[in-house]
Amino acid sequence: MSFWVILAYILLAVSGVVLLYLTYRTDDRRFIYLAVGIFVTFPVLVTLDLPFKVSPEARQLFDAVEALPDSSTVLLTFDYYASALPETEPMSIAALHHLFRKDCKIVTMTTIPLGGPSISERVTRSVAEEYGKEYGVDYVNLGFKANYVAVLKGMGTAIDVIYPTDNSGTPLSEIPITQNVNSYADFDFIYVVADNNIVDYWMSIVNAQYDIRVGCGVTAVMAPRFYAYIGSGQMTGLLGGMKGAAEYEKLVDKKGTATKGMGAQSLVHLLIIGSVIAGNIIYLTGRRGRDKNKPNGSAA
Amino acid sequence: MKTTVPVIIAFLSGFLMVISFFFRPEESFLGRIEPEILSWVTIVGGFTLLLGVVSIVRVNYSAVKRRSDGWIYKLATLVSIFVMIIPAIIPTSWSPKFGTGPGSIYDWCFTYLDAPMMSTMFAMLAFYIASAAFRAFRARNTEATLLLATAVIVMLWRVPMGEAFLTMIHESLPDYINTYIMGGANLAVQRGIIIGAALGAAAMSLRIMLGIERTYMGK
Repeated sequence: MSFWVILAYILLAVSGVVLLYLTYRTDDRRFIYLAVGIFVTFPVLVTLDLPFKVSPEARQLFDAVEALPDSSTVLLTFDYYASALPETEPMSIAALHHLFRKDCKIVTMTTIPLGGPSISERVTRSVAEEYGKEYGVDYVNLGFKANYVAVLKGMGTAIDVIYPTDNSGTPLSEIPITQNVNSYADFDFIYVVADNNIVDYWMSIVNAQYDIRVGCGVTAVMAPRFYAYIGSGQMTGLLGGMKGAAEYEKLVDKKGTATKGMGAQSLVHLLIIGSVIAGNIIYLTGRRGRDKNKPNGSAA
Repeated sequence: MKTTVPVIIAFLSGFLMVISFFFRPEESFLGRIEPEILSWVTIVGGFTLLLGVVSIVRVNYSAVKRRSDGWIYKLATLVSIFVMIIPAIIPTSWSPKFGTGPGSIYDWCFTYLDAPMMSTMFAMLAFYIASAAFRAFRARNTEATLLLATAVIVMLWRVPMGEAFLTMIHESLPDYINTYIMGGANLAVQRGIIIGAALGAAAMSLRIMLGIERTYMGK
């Protein structure tokens, strides 16, 4: 690491402390907003390649996909809104790289009405072009159907009852990849990328009732909830937030936006931790002062 | 009549779904009922989306008509709805700009307007969280202190810089956090929540099927 990068980070830390102090002195939250702004922007200007470990849950997901026989059929879901794109899209991209590299047949779908089909179409096409994969032969986009519980349940018996056509209106019977895919029994693995509680249904309906392995990539705030499924052995691997996406990018050796985002995320986490500590020091020292001024001098 | 018929429909639908679970779809009439009902449910789900659109148009239209507070924003909502809907439902045989495929008007509006706006709303959370961390996240008692300390450790563990710092203290500290906090205390609590939620959902389903719970009818 160069001297200038170290100096830049020291200056950044000092500016963070000064802005926190100004927030305390003036009681103006705009100073802390400015600190967040600087801490997010800074890693874009001064890039730092940060090393990190791969979690056992991410490794488990990678190993499960790696262990699939070549040309396996995998269902990949795009169950996320545009608001969660920075965390979830890198997961989808890394998963597609891994699956296409293994020459898997990929069926994509979404349970998100607003933009779900557009996101899956855009992301899948862009990665497929890189590998020279053909629509209908190597991958297909089923699109969106309303009422996800019914969709998940119905696909267990007959996919073409729920999705008679793909996203562009072509009957599934005319698409080579879906001619041999009738239900979950015809998938070797289900790779769920989600930002909402649909993961519970993938586990309770699809994994529990149809006994097919399901691996998930979810947002950071959701990830702690799904450790229970990892612990019970129901879920095959878990990616949590942008860090999970970066871990998968590292595993597939394809650095993307999640790896680049680790700098900004590191700094903002440190700023928030600094805010919590500073806030509590101010609170505790203030409380002691208040306690001293009480008539009997006793603590509250 | 207005109450009895929906209760009977809810009971029969739920009962048939439960019964059909135990029959193979290709071998029995009861097994074949399940996919049939599920395809009805997706169709009903499509109509609920339509109902949502009609409802939002009605509410916003009346607000614009009355020139109530912030009517200009409601007008923007109405214009946005139709700008997205109309090109999306026109067949692509007329022009490749219609429909929802790549390069369509809908796709352009989603990619360059909707997605950035949704991302902006989500990103603003970082500013509010930082402010709340400074002003409100206090070690007021033992429970709050435990929660605060755990949150700080987990936040530190989830980023490369924090991981490097933890590794300086002890090489295996990040692994211990994953094992004992995430796979220990967190897992135990989450299991309790999941089991509780599942029992609640089962109880609610039974109440709906037996006609005890009628809030879905607007009562």
